[in-house]
Amino acid sequence: MGLESSLRDSVFTTRLDAFINWGRKNSLWPMPFGTACCAIEFMCVLGPKFDMGRFGAEAMRFSPRQSDMMIVSGRVSIKMMPVLQKIYRQMAEPKWVISMGACASTGGVFDTYSTIQGIDRFIPVDVYVPGCPPRPETVIDAVIKLQKKIESERSRDYR
Amino acid sequence: MESIELQKRIESRFPGSAWQPQESSGVGTLVAERSAIVEVLRFLRDDPDLAFDFLMDLFGVDYLEMEATERFAVIYQLYSMKHGHRLRVKAFIPETSPAIDSVAEIYPAANWAERETYDQYGIRFNGHPDLRRILNPDDFTGHPLRKDFPVEGIGYRDQFEKITRTRAQ
Repeated sequence: MGLESSLRDSVFTTRLDAFINWGRKNSLWPMPFGTACCAIEFMCVLGPKFDMGRFGAEAMRFSPRQSDMMIVSGRVSIKMMPVLQKIYRQMAEPKWVISMGACASTGGVFDTYSTIQGIDRFIPVDVYVPGCPPRPETVIDAVIKLQKKIESERSRDYR
Repeated sequence: MESIELQKRIESRFPGSAWQPQESSGVGTLVAERSAIVEVLRFLRDDPDLAFDFLMDLFGVDYLEMEATERFAVIYQLYSMKHGHRLRVKAFIPETSPAIDSVAEIYPAANWAERETYDQYGIRFNGHPDLRRILNPDDFTGHPLRKDFPVEGIGYRDQFEKITRTRAQ
């Protein structure tokens, strides 16, 4: 662009969406919704060996109002589902959900009267993580996939 | 006290007590009459030679399609801290009137265990101080650990509002 060549390195131009999404994807604030063994596995994702902080998502917030990425790790029972929905509603837009592990995604082996057969039946899910429980690398891969998804979003889609 | 001595001691107080010869884990089983359960457990706790002062567990069993005296049973696992011996007390409960007297007064530990047994099997405990559901939601209908309850439930897990994204795709 002509403007950039005349002003050299002092400015650069970009699209507003690209700029906003760049900020959003690199500072995700996770909200752990841990109900079972996946939550235990999730702890070491934040530890020094795997370190989700390398992807800008290390600042765990246990308040839904301060976070934008909910990680549902573990099975969700019929008693827990209203709580999950309430927490999801309390999160400010834009917000994303990672469904971690077989139980959160499909109910897993718990095909019983009290277990929700996949949280995506009742709340929107962005990334599913397979595994029982998933390896930490898989969770990090899910965060990277979510970052790619955020990159392609348009800010005018948010009301 | 060995199982056979326990049996003799209990039979001296309750003549003709029904014993099950089953020796699972070396624990003898006393089959008590449903109507006498409070009396039996009070004796087991207070007798100095028996002194079963610790109710380790209390739970229900559904013998549907199994050979048993009645459909349900409530089982009390007792342990004596003083003597270090154990006893299993079983009371059969008919399907037509699933109820038994509460032992929460004798063993306070029975309070929640009886609530759980009521919640999951529908066995009522007469005289229980607070017989409410303890695990399932309050508005739950049915008793899910009964063998004739469908494993996948009767629709509870599908009855939630579906939240959709507020943003356009």
